[in-house]
Amino acid sequence: MEQIRNLGGWRLKPVFEWVRVTRISSVAERTFVIAFNEPKSAAAIGPGQFCMISPCPGSSNVFLPRPFSYYRVADDHTIEILFRTFGRATRWMAGLAPGDRIGVFGPLGNTFNQQPGAERVILAGGGIGLPPIVFLAESLSRLANAPQIDLIYGELGGARVVDLEKVVPSQVRCHITTEDGTVGAKGLVNGQLSRILDTCHSPPAVYTCGPRAMMAAVAGMLDPEKVALFETSCEENMACGRGICQGCAIPLRGEQDSTRYVCCCTEGPVFNGFEVEWD
Amino acid sequence: MNQTVKCMGLSFQNPVLVASGTFGYGEEYYDIMPFSALGGLVTKTITAARREGNPPPRIVETDAGMLNSIGLANVGLECFLTEKLPWIAKHAGQARVIVNIAGFSVDEYVEVAAAVGSTPGPDALEINLGCPNVRAGYVHFGADPESVHAVISGVRKKVSLPVIAKLTPNVTDIAALAEVAVDAGADALSLINTLPGMKIDLSKRRPVLGMGFGGLSGPAIRPVGVACVYKVYQQMQGMGAQVPIIGIGGICCGADALEYILAGASLVQVGTANFLHPRTPGNVACELAEFCESEQVGNISDLVGLAHER
Repeated sequence: MEQIRNLGGWRLKPVFEWVRVTRISSVAERTFVIAFNEPKSAAAIGPGQFCMISPCPGSSNVFLPRPFSYYRVADDHTIEILFRTFGRATRWMAGLAPGDRIGVFGPLGNTFNQQPGAERVILAGGGIGLPPIVFLAESLSRLANAPQIDLIYGELGGARVVDLEKVVPSQVRCHITTEDGTVGAKGLVNGQLSRILDTCHSPPAVYTCGPRAMMAAVAGMLDPEKVALFETSCEENMACGRGICQGCAIPLRGEQDSTRYVCCCTEGPVFNGFEVEWD
Repeated sequence: MNQTVKCMGLSFQNPVLVASGTFGYGEEYYDIMPFSALGGLVTKTITAARREGNPPPRIVETDAGMLNSIGLANVGLECFLTEKLPWIAKHAGQARVIVNIAGFSVDEYVEVAAAVGSTPGPDALEINLGCPNVRAGYVHFGADPESVHAVISGVRKKVSLPVIAKLTPNVTDIAALAEVAVDAGADALSLINTLPGMKIDLSKRRPVLGMGFGGLSGPAIRPVGVACVYKVYQQMQGMGAQVPIIGIGGICCGADALEYILAGASLVQVGTANFLHPRTPGNVACELAEFCESEQVGNISDLVGLAHER
């Protein structure tokens, strides 16, 4: 079963552009949306792909560019990135204002398979793994024979929950879960997933992006024979986004229990979730 | 403006090259920064067999630089010669193609060098001496004078291409190692390679990198690189040896490259800064040309080593 497509044939060559931030807003605790306009690449961006964002030289102590999955791409070429402050680069980004210039290199990487081949699709996003999941929900909803889509979104606590109402099409059924139970159901993403899987009469397609432990838990509870597709969007430290630095190694199961490393940036970030070595 | 630099019997259209491991096999950035516009491309280190590399995380940002512990992940000699090198040779234009090689034994260095040297395309070989010698207690080749001599002289006997020894700064006296490399037959010296470093993850209370240690690169190491070039240039002058030096370490702009040139480098390589913006090496070359024009310097080579007392 070929689950990872080689999109090299039509993948747009990435462009490096200095763009101006058009909008930045706080949408949840430590969580922001930054918007900019980038007409050279916007039309070709697919869900799952990412861009590298960098500061203008000398404007920040951030040295390397950082990878971010695309969150939303509007018809007017406005690109939105959803991010949460964790370290030096995201704190720098949170301090940006409309008019500030940033470097954007993209689109990079592959996309989620947008032909799920299933009547039901389950999208599972954990924490700041949400952006490509929202993008995919929007994209799948536009299909001529759109499947029934369930979107599970998990966070540690309610203060971090991003309001999905304005960004996810109305036909997508959203299931919010928080570990402290302050918003949505109390518990973890995999608890919700288990409940939804029980209601599937035919093998669903499952897509996920989130913390490694969450994705490993999801992978552990899926039976390859009982799902049509299982794709995960992975993350790893990277410097170039183009397969040069070889920094973003993702371990995949090789032959005879061996591990083979592939670059998250060029062979991913979307992988067949059954091929990733989660241990 | 003429930026041509003569070095190792080769003509470089400008003095700016891209460092091994930071420009892939030339193809990855070609649409944004064609290496054909540069002095040359130094390809990612090739070993005899394909290597998967080290467990992640492999890189992490530090102040004014980054740490990497890639583990020499590469496609291996055969794939390089049959798939990568032909593409590079076809697209090089006036740029020089320098193939960086490594091995885990003297025999492996010689084997890889001989295979690359007998294939059309490369203009020179750069020998990465930063590999552990598995037959000599895993001491890095570059840290041991006997190993440096054995590798460089072994390669020298097998290939007619210019041989560049890439030296590590992690030694007591880099000038002494440079002398050994030259005595063994090196036509040029590249310096410096990365410095060992570590970053600790405070929440996990463990090193960030999968292998613990990594190689530090970027502007943070530039003063170390400039000092090494200065020191080795002085040594070469003392020996009466006309061995060119290629300066590497934290070059992000023309002014950075000029420091290396004034310290004694005939050519420079842009490395980590390629990750910040792939057009960096082209900008460095332009800024050097602008400097020469504004300062009425006929050729950049006229500036080599001028920081030394005369």
